[in-house]
Parts: sequence; structure tokens; C-alpha cells
Amino acid sequence: MTAKHYPDLSDIFARRDAGRKQRARMSMGEKLKVMDKLRATADEFKEMRERRKSAPSRQKD
Amino acid sequence: MRYTLETIVKLRERGAIQDYAIAGAVASLYYLEPMLTEDIDVLVSITHLEQRGSGLVLLTPIENALAEMGFTERCDVGIRIGDWPVQFLPVASELDEAGLAEAIEIEIDGSPSLKVRVLSPEHIVAKALTVGRAKDLVRIQAFLAEKAVNLDKLKALLQRFNLMSDWSSFCFKSGCPNPFSVT
Repeated sequence: MTAKHYPDLSDIFARRDAGRKQRARMSMGEKLKVMDKLRATADEFKEMRERRKSAPSRQKD
Repeated sequence: MRYTLETIVKLRERGAIQDYAIAGAVASLYYLEPMLTEDIDVLVSITHLEQRGSGLVLLTPIENALAEMGFTERCDVGIRIGDWPVQFLPVASELDEAGLAEAIEIEIDGSPSLKVRVLSPEHIVAKALTVGRAKDLVRIQAFLAEKAVNLDKLKALLQRFNLMSDWSSFCFKSGCPNPFSVT
């Protein structure tokens, strides 16, 4: 039985860490704008979820 | 959010709040990458707030001042100021009191620039430890991972408020190596 080889993901994790550090270094003014955008996006998802919950469930044929 | 923070600063200028510090996720924002949050937590001193015999603190001066400024909409966590719900949290422990006293003033870039008080990273971590919800523990991990907290200061704070055993439990549960363990 041959051993499976999985890809090395360390570069992906390293890039992710670098991105996190870069975002942490943003100015507070920039971060506040990001927070506003994050919240607006989250609100859209919440509204979609509420609409889905309140919609009548689909009947099976 | 900037508008909301400006309004909080105005509340202090009007005398509706005395000492204050932004806490929670928005305070963490100064030290870490932006993370989604639902509201803005503001720790406020209670010296000028009416306290009932039961220990209940009334936020009437804050609510009245906000109403005069046109903010009357309540939401599940507090009062909506601009687009953000704001929760005013009266000082409720010695740790809170120390957090307020040791809060730092930061400057937010923009025109005009804005100065607000936020909890120190060590106080954010200590407070998160006492609250202990899953998201608080994640926040502590983020502070540790980003080396955004001074470990010597944190250790001193945890010792001062008898939180070392809570800290050990957190490290055990989260799998974080305990930076204060003696090996």
C-alpha cells in the first residue's frame, strides 16, 4: 500500500498570518471603516436568514 | 462607527459620563485585526450615577443626555447611536475600576482626529477571562497569538485580581501553552 501524499499548506498559513498582521497594523480610522463594512455584510446575511425562516416551507410533490 | 464614538466623547464633554473606556471587541480593534461585532461596549464610572439600595445602577443621566441629542431608539443590548447599538456598562468590580483608571487615550485618524479612551490590552484579556464566553476565549487567544499583550503586565494584573487559576483553566481548555507556568 502506497502512502498518500498531501500538499504542504504551510505557505497558505504563513500568508494568512501575514495578512492578519498587516490588518492589525492598519490605522484605527481604517479599521473602523472595515468594521462598518463587516457589520453591513453580516446584516445582509441576517436579513436573508430571517426571510428564509419566515418563508413558507416548500412542500414535497 | 466613528460617528458613534464621537457621540460617546460628546457625552463626556456634556458631563453625562465621567470616566469611560471603550471595552470589548471595539477596544480590541486598536490592538488586533478588525473582527465582526454586534455592538460597542463602554465601561463607565458610577460615581455620578444613582444607585438603588438593591445595587441597581440607573443610567438616567446618560439616557437623558442621549435623548436630548436625539438618540432614543433602544435595542436588545442598549441604545442605538447612529448605526451601532451601544451598551453602557457601569463599573461592577475592582477589576473594572482598575481598567478604567488604567485606560489609555488613543487618537483616531481622520478629519478632525478624535481621541477616545480604550482599555489596555492586559485589561481586555483579564476582563475576557472573567466573562469567559467562547468568543472571549477566542479573543484572548488572538491577543496571545499576535503578541499584542505585555505578558509581564498581564501576569501582574492576573495576580492582583486573583485570576491565575482562571488563567490556568483557560490555557488548559484552549490548548494554549501557559506562558506563566514554571517548568
